[in-house]
Amino acid sequence: MDDADVALRNDTYRLVVDLGRVPTAPQVAAVTGRTAEDVLAGWLRLHDAHALVLEAGGTAIRMANPFSGVPTAHRVQAEGRWWYANCAWDAFGICAALGTDGRIESSCPDCGEPLAVAVRDREPDRDDLLFLCPVPAQHWWDDIVAT
Amino acid sequence: MNLFRSEEHLTRWLGDRGPGATLPVRQLSALAYAWWGDRLDPAWRPHTREQNQAILDRLGLTGSFWRLG
Repeated sequence: MDDADVALRNDTYRLVVDLGRVPTAPQVAAVTGRTAEDVLAGWLRLHDAHALVLEAGGTAIRMANPFSGVPTAHRVQAEGRWWYANCAWDAFGICAALGTDGRIESSCPDCGEPLAVAVRDREPDRDDLLFLCPVPAQHWWDDIVAT
Repeated sequence: MNLFRSEEHLTRWLGDRGPGATLPVRQLSALAYAWWGDRLDPAWRPHTREQNQAILDRLGLTGSFWRLG
């Protein structure tokens, strides 16, 4: 990943926060002086480097980890907004990335009942929940969306 | 990667699925802060595999399941 692609990645992430959702290529182009085609080409390189994840077709961001480009079962309220996370790990990651407290809402896959946990000063406010990582680390990127 | 209400719910849901790895939610939060805490840093640089493995190791996430390959 060269410096130009790191800069594109950082510009993209900055817009995630500014907009409250993952940006489109034209949105990134408009604020960075790049063309949308250049943005898409850079995003593809970042996708290949596992710095973000594109939708099939390569024209939109599916994951700017820990942020999700699509609605999911894992939501985070932080900084006065709701954010979608890719998974429970990423939900805590949104609080971490934003450097703020937050409230995470998800649901138990077994019973379907909603779960909520607050994060205060980097710590969850309850200890009874368990996190399952189903895929060994060496296989996380075999299919990152499924992981 | 999901949160479960309790060990009972997790065990019932797993059934015949592979066991994966289970963490208490407090350890998950610590992992998330170590893993994602720099993602919006204007000076962000990509983590190396060694850096990420060191994060897992520091949190006691060792053994073959947690080897990044």
